[in-house]
Amino acid sequence: MPLKNYEMNKNNKKEFLDPVGKSVPRIDGRGLVTGQTKYVFDLKLSGMLVGKMLRSPHPHAKIISIDTKKAEKLPGVKAIITAKDTHGVKFGSNEFFFPQTADQQALEGDKVRYIGDELGAVAAVDEETADKALKLIDVKYEILPAVFDAVEAMKPGAPLIHEARNNIALILPTNFGNVERALKESDYVREDTFYLPSAAHTCMEPHVCVGQFEEFSDKVTLHVSTQAPFKIRETLAKCLKMDLNNVRVIKLAVGGGFGGKLEMLPMDFAACLLSKKAGGFPVKICYSRKEEFCFSRRKHPMIYKLKSGVKKDGTLMAISGEVIADGGGYCSYGPTVLAAAMMRIFMVYKITNFRVAGYRVYTNNPISGAIRGFGGVQSGFAIESHMDLLAQGIGMDPVEFRLKNITGPNMTVTNKMVITSNGLRECIEKATEACDWKNKHGKQKKIKRGLGIGIAADVMGSKMYKSHESAGSILKIEEDGSIHFLTGAADTGQGSNTALSQIAAQELGVSYGRIKITSADTAITPFDTGSFASRVTFISGNATKLAAADAKRQILEIIATEKNIPIESLDIKAEEIVNTSDNSVLMNFDQAVELCYSFNYGSQIIGRGSYNPKTTPVDFRTGEGNVSASYGFEAQIAKVEVNTDTGEVKVLKMWDAHDIGKAINPQSVKGQIEGSLFMGIGYTLWENLKFEEGRVVNANFANYRLPRSVSTCPVESILIETNDPQGPFGAKGMGEAALLPTAAAIANAVYDAVGVRIKELPITPEKILTALKNKNNKE
Amino acid sequence: MTKLKINNRIYDLALKGHETLLEVLRDILGLTGTKTACDEAECGACTVLINGKAILSCITLAMDVENDDITTIEGISSGDDLHPIQQAFLDKGAVQCGFCAPGFILSTKALLDENPRPDLDEIKKSLDGHLCRCGGYLKIFDAIEDAAKKLRNE
Repeated sequence: MPLKNYEMNKNNKKEFLDPVGKSVPRIDGRGLVTGQTKYVFDLKLSGMLVGKMLRSPHPHAKIISIDTKKAEKLPGVKAIITAKDTHGVKFGSNEFFFPQTADQQALEGDKVRYIGDELGAVAAVDEETADKALKLIDVKYEILPAVFDAVEAMKPGAPLIHEARNNIALILPTNFGNVERALKESDYVREDTFYLPSAAHTCMEPHVCVGQFEEFSDKVTLHVSTQAPFKIRETLAKCLKMDLNNVRVIKLAVGGGFGGKLEMLPMDFAACLLSKKAGGFPVKICYSRKEEFCFSRRKHPMIYKLKSGVKKDGTLMAISGEVIADGGGYCSYGPTVLAAAMMRIFMVYKITNFRVAGYRVYTNNPISGAIRGFGGVQSGFAIESHMDLLAQGIGMDPVEFRLKNITGPNMTVTNKMVITSNGLRECIEKATEACDWKNKHGKQKKIKRGLGIGIAADVMGSKMYKSHESAGSILKIEEDGSIHFLTGAADTGQGSNTALSQIAAQELGVSYGRIKITSADTAITPFDTGSFASRVTFISGNATKLAAADAKRQILEIIATEKNIPIESLDIKAEEIVNTSDNSVLMNFDQAVELCYSFNYGSQIIGRGSYNPKTTPVDFRTGEGNVSASYGFEAQIAKVEVNTDTGEVKVLKMWDAHDIGKAINPQSVKGQIEGSLFMGIGYTLWENLKFEEGRVVNANFANYRLPRSVSTCPVESILIETNDPQGPFGAKGMGEAALLPTAAAIANAVYDAVGVRIKELPITPEKILTALKNKNNKE
Repeated sequence: MTKLKINNRIYDLALKGHETLLEVLRDILGLTGTKTACDEAECGACTVLINGKAILSCITLAMDVENDDITTIEGISSGDDLHPIQQAFLDKGAVQCGFCAPGFILSTKALLDENPRPDLDEIKKSLDGHLCRCGGYLKIFDAIEDAAKKLRNE
């Protein structure tokens, strides 16, 4: 009989002992299934006003004037703000290492650069009044010529979107080895171009925040649905010109993030400033689904032009080419995305000759930003399709080709990434074994079925954001032995609160049931860089393990004094204080805590830990940089069936073999794999955020098709435990990786089934039918 | 006054007439367990039960369900005990962010009340109107099969 969630308290000792590696119930589960859990979406504060953003209807225009007089007179309007109410501060999400990418203002005053660009905001007593007020604001624009295509935007003479020589916001020029010579020495050289569309995060909870200004203390509090409360605090403080300790950012339960809730949006700033102007009443701004699709962030559309060479024996000789990313109106996380889109290949393939130039280009489209995998999903499709084509060109099995060229454990690769544990070979072997690759690949063409493989690697954090990417944890052992765990890490649904609590309990030697968690409130919990780049289990996990070890040391020091036993001979195991020299039990955990707090000692037990991996950002002059302290790996195989009459591709099954270091909670790990993988299937077959002249034309769930229950397929997850030397209990992160190779695995399987190669996502029935027709005409 | 019977409790409400059931539940009564992710009948997050059938509260006028039996996520567990469907969602890891969970759980209840032994295809079809972006549905199917077994006392 499984334990009921509400039975998780300190009296349930035995069931939750040694929790690492067990699928214990989620620490927040009961609230989630009963509807009791509060999201910012549900938050209602006394006197709360409704805020709405004033947005540009034009993709590119100069702002001549903004007249708010009529709107101010409308009964029920409490505050209106425009750029003149701000300090005019520019911000960017990677501005520490890339100061030139601080290119956006919380409210634009001179110019708008995409449809939806924010130039003001209104707070009113209700939504209807706020909407009316927006219509009464008179903005005069001078329309400027706009550009919507990244390739066009790069050309001389294209309309300039920012004050710069051209629209190329970022260049990452890499040049390792000697590509020309390596291509000459290759037996087979081929060129391919791949096209990747935009996509939306579609978190179920939209972007939502409540800002409140406290006049008497000059402090501001923002409740916000976010993955990175401390990142929002930093940008908010900068734009409001306030000290960090006067800006409090509180995260409640978060209804999904996927990279879309990683940075301050103008709405967060506006809610705070509106509250100030309205005399301290709280202001809530909540995006509609349409706003979510049109004005939050989106996946970078990308073009990959690749030219590569191989030897007959399958040795990968060189990769060259260029990557062009449509960045939209502002930089957002552009540097990280471009770096991830290009440098991931070094984690996967041993390649010494590499010359790829990456360009992130301004256009008058909505802002491209971070989305699960950063640029890794786009590169996953391009590189892994390209690798299959190279293998095919020399008549080699795609699996054999990969096994010949992949990275292994304990190597420093060409761009100076340091790989320690690496289970990629085992991932490929296990996945191919599970799907019976030897007997099935290339042998089911008659029934139009095929198998395809894709492989990928992932980071455990990324040193792209600031000088450190640390995480902190605090463990307060209360007088009765129950534990209050404070972390700045943001659980957005992935289950990090549960995994971190498991780590804390394991290290301290107590039951998981003792722990209650607070996450995250910048005024209470320690700093954490945020939930992105699969970093929380690894980085926040290490901080938590250190905090638990610190608490344990404090307890054992007191017991050592009391019992006159050297501390080296003491340990806490399964809720008992043990003298390890003779394995005798001295007392239980509750008694130990009571002793610590007692008259003689009076010592509060507060364990603290902070962890910051020794990593370096990607140097945009060279492409070098060890962005992560550890790397995760995986192999994915798709089994598909293609209907040659309708062009429909049906994914019959997916296999995912994943080097996760150590599964802290196997059920959560599998949940992450499945969720990520289905997001990958969505992007492969259906998802495509479409634009016409900078306007999103499919901004709803009816026209932007997500995976649904009826379009699922079975998934077999194979967990490979390589015990990472730096991971907490050997664990690595893994939230992003499972969608990186999905599109290529499916495209490669389609080729195996019916012999057509699709190089542009999504793989629609139209594209399949056209490709089949062209193939038949040639034959 | 409009009488709404929600989770076996009668509420007398002065409604203007245009309020959706979703607005009444969330904004007037503070029953925020019912969510919405689209407000246009495409995501399933606002699902509640009317006389045991799953309906979308974002496109249902509150006045139209006067005197009906309305059940929301707040009304299906009894005391400290979770409903077997809620328990199965936890046991099988079917919940990630949880925002879509109330809708899925109520649709599951409607399904299992009518069909105690659904096969996988029937489960998939019954959930077609629900979106989950975190989890990919498979663990929800497991949870429903598990809950069905428990409800049949197997």
